[in-house]
Amino acid sequence: MKISAKDLWAGGILMFLAAAGLFINGGFLGLGLEQHTLGTARRMGPGYMPMLVFWLQFGLGLIVFLVGLTGGPDPLERWTKLDFTTLAISVAVGVVIWRVMEAVGYNNNYVQIGAACLVALLILAISPAWRPLGLTLASFAVFALALEPLGLICAIILLCIISAMADREHNPISIAGMTVFLCVLCWFVFIKELDIRVPLWPTIFG
Amino acid sequence: MELLLSNLAHGFGVALTLDNLLFALLGALIGTAIGVLPGIGPVATISLLLPITFGQPATTAIIMLAGIYYGAQYGGSTTAILLNLPGEVSSVVTTLEGYKMARNGRAGAALTIAAVGSFFAGSVATVLVAASGPLLTQVALSFGPADYFSLMLLGLIISAVLAQGSILKSIAMVVLGVALGLVGTDVQTGQQRFTFGVPELSDGLGFVSIAMGIFGIGEIILNLERPEARSVMSGKVGSLWLTGHEFKRAVPSVLRGTVVGSVLGILPGGGASLAAFGSYMMERKMSRYRHEFGNGAIEGVAGPESANNAAAQTSFIPLLTLGIPANAVMALMVGALIIQGIQPGPRMVEAQPDLFWGLICSMWIGNLMLLVINLPLIGMWVKLLQVPYKYLYPSILVFCAIGVYSLNNSVFDVYQTLFFGILGYIFSKLRMEAAPLLIGFVLGPMMEEHLRRAMLLSRGDPIVFVERPISATLLALGAIVLAAMLLPGLRAGKDKALAE
Repeated sequence: MKISAKDLWAGGILMFLAAAGLFINGGFLGLGLEQHTLGTARRMGPGYMPMLVFWLQFGLGLIVFLVGLTGGPDPLERWTKLDFTTLAISVAVGVVIWRVMEAVGYNNNYVQIGAACLVALLILAISPAWRPLGLTLASFAVFALALEPLGLICAIILLCIISAMADREHNPISIAGMTVFLCVLCWFVFIKELDIRVPLWPTIFG
Repeated sequence: MELLLSNLAHGFGVALTLDNLLFALLGALIGTAIGVLPGIGPVATISLLLPITFGQPATTAIIMLAGIYYGAQYGGSTTAILLNLPGEVSSVVTTLEGYKMARNGRAGAALTIAAVGSFFAGSVATVLVAASGPLLTQVALSFGPADYFSLMLLGLIISAVLAQGSILKSIAMVVLGVALGLVGTDVQTGQQRFTFGVPELSDGLGFVSIAMGIFGIGEIILNLERPEARSVMSGKVGSLWLTGHEFKRAVPSVLRGTVVGSVLGILPGGGASLAAFGSYMMERKMSRYRHEFGNGAIEGVAGPESANNAAAQTSFIPLLTLGIPANAVMALMVGALIIQGIQPGPRMVEAQPDLFWGLICSMWIGNLMLLVINLPLIGMWVKLLQVPYKYLYPSILVFCAIGVYSLNNSVFDVYQTLFFGILGYIFSKLRMEAAPLLIGFVLGPMMEEHLRRAMLLSRGDPIVFVERPISATLLALGAIVLAAMLLPGLRAGKDKALAE
């Protein structure tokens, strides 16, 4: 049979999200996380529209899945063993960091999410196939982590260094030049002209 | 007629203030720049610049954002003609004939007809917006909640049908978008839905975060994964003047392109790219010189380039009159308006005359500016093409990060963007079209409100949707569109049109 792996995954993801949504919405055998009132068709409660939407999405996901059984061949890109391992380790480490930091009480300003994302994405970047994804997003996470305690300049420097490693054509000199240019540009645009409220330099020492 | 003229006079008064002129110019410049640069489009740019516009008055903000959209239509052709790389999706077809013309030493002529055709089409389309706006508004004012719901449903269906790739998946993406729009506080009861106790989510998922994550960051990752396509510049630009023969050949194509573009721009889910494809197909069938297609026929540049710019203007019509976004860029405009405290809809013409008429007049002025920006200054944009991507993407990332943070001064928004970046990456790997999702996300909450209101008025009887003539017509249209797409012949035609 000619299977379209892309459609199977797409349908699966849609169904999974819809099922999760229905579960959270509640009303199903009295289970559910948030238990929104359903109401009647005349006076719809907060749970009515979500119920309609998620059932529709589930149905569509199912059709996408079924069509995908014969819609191919359309395989996913091949994953190497390294790709699988780094993905598994990165997700596991990320969840552990998140949980541990939350348990210890390190959860001010979503720092637990940022730290978990950063470490997980850096681990992911070990595999060459995941490198653009991992490093681009890691640079974003490091920016969010650094911005308030270390200030805008440090956050930009960190973002530039990590994101630049995603492209092989960069060398230390080109990274340094670009970083300085962007720091000056962002200072001018965002601090001097637009005057956004963000510390420019580290605040944790002062 | 007199009223129209006095309204236009009022609009020019607004558009010609120094601030609005400057921001129209700024938008046109930014638009041309991102149009020229492959790999960054208007959706990503506008979401990037949304936070910066909050400080401005609404009219100025929208004028600038609009300038970016149609400016990108001008800039995109430059890259397509000179490098055989589309600067924008809407210039994909321009590469076919435009690059061939450049190889034949007629790059200058191709650039000129692209800019002049765009200007002509843009001017006509602007008049169309001005004339049809108030008319459609009158119609829209008689709409009840049921009619609105059906109209939005029709919009969602058409936008899914016209999106690239599988219709089924696009419809599913629309629904997913509507589902994402459910997050936040329920307007009628104040109950928190799907917020997981996160206070930042009580206003719903961040619109900018979704757009920036999926379109901005997702695109960067994909560009980095692909080995960069480096094309060689096709020699000199050459003379910008058209020969008499070229001019004569181009005129009918420009006219046809303007008509096709204006019509396809108004359709929900339409917009610049669809218009360019449509016009190219038409030229290949109708042109007297169709045998020259493939060897640098000027019709293949003149038609699509006029069409994409006409569509960029007319796609404002559904937004300004009905409050319904026709494509992802217009969905961003809705976001910008709502953040400014303006509810887009038929009352906007009356309540915000400065915005409505000022925007229309500034569109025409902006098109005039673009003609100047693009033709005499072409050398500057050619230089911009030489900036390597390795410097470009970290800059985009920095601007994204700061922009999204400054929305609410909250790092939560940055993490949200990161999350949608991952999601956008998965979507594109599985060929799940993201533009319908964005439209669904914007329309979803409005649809829920109208649905609930309509059902309350009809005492819970869904028959109201087929009883009201407007609503029934709209629903029938939606059903016809869906049924038509199930016909294998039509679907093959659409696939072919979008694949070429």
